[in-house]
Amino acid sequence: MPVLIEHIYEIVVAIVITVLLGTGALIIMAVARRQRRESYFRRIDDLRQRYGPVIASMLSQKLEYERGRDVLKGISGVDRDYVLEQLCLEKKPTPDQVPILRRLCEDLGLVRLWQQRLSGQLGIASIRDTLASPEGILHRVGRLHFLLRAKAADNLGIIQHRASWPLLVKALEDPHPDVQAVAVRSLAAIQEPASFGPLVERLHAVILKPSTRLSLRSIKTALISFPLKQAVGLIPSLTHAHRRIRFLATDIIREMVERQAAWDEDFVLDAQVFPAELGNIFLGQLCFDENPDVRARSAPVISFLADPRSTPVLLTLLEDAQWFVRLHAVRALAKRKFLSQAPQVAQRLTDPHWMVREAAARTLLVFGRVGSDQLAGHFLATQDRYSQEQIADEIQRAGLVPNMLAQYATEAEGSEGKVIEQLVQMGKTSYVVSVLQTTSDQRLRRKFLMNFGRYLDPQIRGWVQQVATEETDPNLRTLAQTVIRPATKQGES
Amino acid sequence: MEDWRQIFYHAMNMFNVVIVSYFFMANGMYTILMLVSLGSVWLHNRRLTYQGLDELRESAVTPPATILVPAWNEQDVIVESVRSILRTDYPALEVIVIDDGSTDESMDRLIAAFRLVKMDLIYRPRLATKAVKGFYMNPRIPNLMVISKENGGKPDALNVGINMCRTPYFCTLDADCILERDALLRLMRPIVRSPENTVASGGIVRILNGCEVKDGKVISVKLPKTAVERFQVVEYLRSFLFGRTGWDLLGGTLIVSGAFAVFHRETVLETGGFLHDTVTEDMDLIVQIHRWAAHHQRKIKMVFTSDPVCWTECPAKVPMLGRQRRRWQMGLCQTLWKSSEMLFNSKYGVIGMVSFPFHLYVEAIGSVVEFLGYFMVPLALLFGMVPVPLAVLFIVLSLVYGSFLSVGSVLLEELTYRRYPGLRDLVILLVYAVLENIGYRQMVLLYRVQGVLRFITGFRSWEKVTHVGAG
Repeated sequence: MPVLIEHIYEIVVAIVITVLLGTGALIIMAVARRQRRESYFRRIDDLRQRYGPVIASMLSQKLEYERGRDVLKGISGVDRDYVLEQLCLEKKPTPDQVPILRRLCEDLGLVRLWQQRLSGQLGIASIRDTLASPEGILHRVGRLHFLLRAKAADNLGIIQHRASWPLLVKALEDPHPDVQAVAVRSLAAIQEPASFGPLVERLHAVILKPSTRLSLRSIKTALISFPLKQAVGLIPSLTHAHRRIRFLATDIIREMVERQAAWDEDFVLDAQVFPAELGNIFLGQLCFDENPDVRARSAPVISFLADPRSTPVLLTLLEDAQWFVRLHAVRALAKRKFLSQAPQVAQRLTDPHWMVREAAARTLLVFGRVGSDQLAGHFLATQDRYSQEQIADEIQRAGLVPNMLAQYATEAEGSEGKVIEQLVQMGKTSYVVSVLQTTSDQRLRRKFLMNFGRYLDPQIRGWVQQVATEETDPNLRTLAQTVIRPATKQGES
Repeated sequence: MEDWRQIFYHAMNMFNVVIVSYFFMANGMYTILMLVSLGSVWLHNRRLTYQGLDELRESAVTPPATILVPAWNEQDVIVESVRSILRTDYPALEVIVIDDGSTDESMDRLIAAFRLVKMDLIYRPRLATKAVKGFYMNPRIPNLMVISKENGGKPDALNVGINMCRTPYFCTLDADCILERDALLRLMRPIVRSPENTVASGGIVRILNGCEVKDGKVISVKLPKTAVERFQVVEYLRSFLFGRTGWDLLGGTLIVSGAFAVFHRETVLETGGFLHDTVTEDMDLIVQIHRWAAHHQRKIKMVFTSDPVCWTECPAKVPMLGRQRRRWQMGLCQTLWKSSEMLFNSKYGVIGMVSFPFHLYVEAIGSVVEFLGYFMVPLALLFGMVPVPLAVLFIVLSLVYGSFLSVGSVLLEELTYRRYPGLRDLVILLVYAVLENIGYRQMVLLYRVQGVLRFITGFRSWEKVTHVGAG
């Protein structure tokens, strides 16, 4: 029957009825879903209450492993595997719990199940199983199998199942990017040395084939998590013709080195942890690479090398034409062992780029007294306004003003007084005045009043005015009243 | 006289065509978005089981981020908000609060609570802003900076924050919002994991009214008490769970809520930052980025994810709701008008060919069409131009369809996040989803039409929405 305008009533009525039925169906689905989920959660809560303490006791080795395992083997039902997975992997295991958990998952048959899933041995679930298990729909619909493969890869990574690494390496070629990304992460957790190479290959693939749907950051994160001794696996990448591959390889080694150095204050890259071949590549090639990003990222690694060539190379990088290379070089020098390079670092306080100036100021502060003297000396001597501003900025951000004022109060002649004077002359008085307003050190307030009370800076004037009117100490109040008079006159004139 | 009658009849007929086409276009597109979102959100929820947030948290590769909090007269919430933000679970986090010339005690309370001292720091404005009055820091909390500036509006405050921000990404967050602890980490996940250049990432904004809050943390999720707030819960679910998710999947993201979103700093700087010529600077920025990317032939991506949650107070009183909706509608019109060259421009892909026309016709002009429909249909009935049963059927259909879509959004929530724990909550939500189309929708429509009128008449002022205080 053709659809005619005469049928409009019937059509609209049909649409209304359909939509009404659809709305009703959605409401029923929502309520039914809620009730089903509530009963599911009740079951999970019940199981958690019964078996959670067993798993916790096993992991903390308070319960004999075999006894606990046998109790858990008692769980049955269509969703047994799913429930066991939920119970075992509910909380992230601590490093000492991982071996027990791994053994438990193996004994309960979960590892075999995950391995089967990851390798794609997935059957299509029956309708009964689909409805009975929360994961049933995933088994039923082939296009959703990637969710099971990815979760399996994740689980194998959580329990650090070393024997599964070849499967995970194979999963790097999985058709779904989620599975690839999780496999990368799990390989990083397992840290099997033989898997480092395939991960490096993936790194190359991501750069060389733009169609690869894996994130560069994911691969990089994985490679960084390997021990530093694996860095030799990156030698072909460090000498690769592609500038981006060289850059990423250099940056990965930098991250590996800095991670290790964060645990050990006196960390040095000696031949035991860093083969000479690698050191030579850094000192002979990468620091002179045509790609400035490579030069920049090589600087932090070079700064840890126990090689006499490292300091001259760093000083060369300090003079690089690219500002961010100089920035990385300055930051790399922020170690006490480079204390003798403080004058060279101080030269960067006049760098054309503010970030280099800022980094230079921060590096000098890391050097302690020697560095802060350099900083103060430069601050007082330089005519470069930008440099002065940068140092003033850093003095404030680092919270040095209260200490400087305290030293200024006690020392008869010192650079602190001159630095304070310089800050005042530059109009950087907010921090100084806020310290003066809150300090109980009468000596400091008196000295500052005498030396700077006559300055026309509005914030100092405000403070002097406050002391002159509100100060409880009559001597200080009188002093403030004395110094404010000529200042007012001067201001009026 | 007969001529006038003919003109009237023609006009009425034309309007009938417009309203019917609007009805089918809007509901058709909403239905597509709902169906797409049903699959997408369910799948996303499943994928969360292997998301690996720990790895993201511990990785040295996760980029540092700054949370920018623009605040104007937020003395009652600002200290708790900042405390809560500082507890955000993120490896390298900085927080910049920008006080936009508050006239209340916001600054004093911040200074006292965090023992801040005024510092004379260097300000390098890459984006032009109103004058900065001072920078406040505590060297013991080096990742917190408070900036006091002259009042210049939210976009201006955000631009000051961007100027001072050092990290490659920044997150905008309203001062009265509560961020879930791992929300930023979740928001950054698509940026870190995506092989494409992701320049913006938006999360879901949920309604705080009715929830229990302790120490800047939502400890119990409950439905609000009043009808106007409950209707907004349904609206937010619809807007975020299926509106934005659907557009995200179709590649047509045109709105990312500025209350809670992450942006790539350098991209925002290149597009000129938050502009002042609209009252919805967040949507305006997204459109600017699309235009910039098309102009410079940059391949960029903007994502919306439904699991990072930010809680915000919705207006509890009808007049406040009116203010909010007028502003949103006016901002939408301003932004679309400003970027009208994108309309049906294939250079912008899905944005130009689908998303922009949809937002223009259905979201902007549609409000006027629907509003006029409430007058024109009775008029057409009066003049015997439409048979009464057909008109009644059409009205019933529009109401029923609206309910269908709202119920769909509640189902979407049920299938995925189930934030409202009790069965009673679900039933209440379903009831409000059905009732939303009778009374509430018309009221909001009125405000939206007022927003369009304000746009047409060139009204510029920002109406402040005040809240009653959640928890």
